[in-house]
Amino acid sequence: MEPSDEELCRKIAERDAAAFELMVDRHQGRAYRLATSILGNEADARDVSQDAFIRLYESAGRFDGRSRFSTWFYRILVNLCIDHQRKNRWWKRMAPLASPGDVRDERAFDPPSSEAGPEDEAMLKQSISRLRPALAKLSPQQRAAVLLQTQEGFTSREIGEVLKCSEATARVHVHRGIAQLRKLIANE
Amino acid sequence: MAGIHPETELIPYLRGDLSADERARVGAHLEGCAQCRQSAEASSALLSNLTQVVEGVRDPDWTEYRAGLKRKLRARQASSATMRGRLQRMREDLRLPAFGWPSMAIGAAAVAVLAIAIVIHRGSGSLPAPGVDQLELQQELSSADVGLLANYHVVENLDLLENYDVIEHLDELGPGNPQNNETPS
Repeated sequence: MEPSDEELCRKIAERDAAAFELMVDRHQGRAYRLATSILGNEADARDVSQDAFIRLYESAGRFDGRSRFSTWFYRILVNLCIDHQRKNRWWKRMAPLASPGDVRDERAFDPPSSEAGPEDEAMLKQSISRLRPALAKLSPQQRAAVLLQTQEGFTSREIGEVLKCSEATARVHVHRGIAQLRKLIANE
Repeated sequence: MAGIHPETELIPYLRGDLSADERARVGAHLEGCAQCRQSAEASSALLSNLTQVVEGVRDPDWTEYRAGLKRKLRARQASSATMRGRLQRMREDLRLPAFGWPSMAIGAAAVAVLAIAIVIHRGSGSLPAPGVDQLELQQELSSADVGLLANYHVVENLDLLENYDVIEHLDELGPGNPQNNETPS
């Protein structure tokens, strides 16, 4: 039987290298995808998600088990993503040649092929290509809240735990994020 | 439908993230509110497309990713070890040699004796009494202070007299601002 995340975390706190390897195996894909969706850049997402695993290794002993492990770990990851964006904000101001859409690395995304017809697929690709730059225009909290809900299937309470806010505030972040995305896409 | 639109609850409703009571309330509202139904449908379509965006993220070379993670972890551990070593050395540097504590005790005792001697010497010596002129001057100054206290309610509320409009628009004040040349009325 596979050990739970919580059990692995306890072992990592005791510096069990195998447990850490297994934990990284289990979460690297989701962590990397979430970081890429928030940051819009492969290289930054790789660095930040690796840093999140290092934080996990160093602070596994502080996981008290009151929340799900994934909530605790994604709080570390999302905070690192938000911090990363704050640190790099000055650079984006200094590079006015790049439009907000250009900031995101288009190579990082490869829309999945669906079983729909070629016309539907083209429309879907177009819709997705409009969503990416729109996502980049959301505030970091809104973007994280929307992505945690769509990617991780987190509840509003869990999003609140990750973003250190109340469940009601988490709902507001998601609502405003989705409303803003709809507005941005409609204005295009 | 009358009532407040449950805007922030529409997405949790779509995703089954509401309690039974909340779900019933939002469901009832949606039945009678075309605006919220339309909003919920549009949000649902957008959420579906967002899932595609996230699923469309390409995986990196995981072998390279893991190698990078190991390198970073090793560097971090080495850095922590170096830091611990430095702290240890600092602690050792702060530690006094075996003969240090008696020497410090003797030094402290000498300083204490010197301080007591100075205090005793000052106490035994007669300080010159203040002259009459000096006393009068002190009395005058004190009475001036008491005069201020007669208007204590003004002093107490001085901060209320501050012009916050000026403070709020401080950034508009400057040598180049033509508004500053206007004569106050």
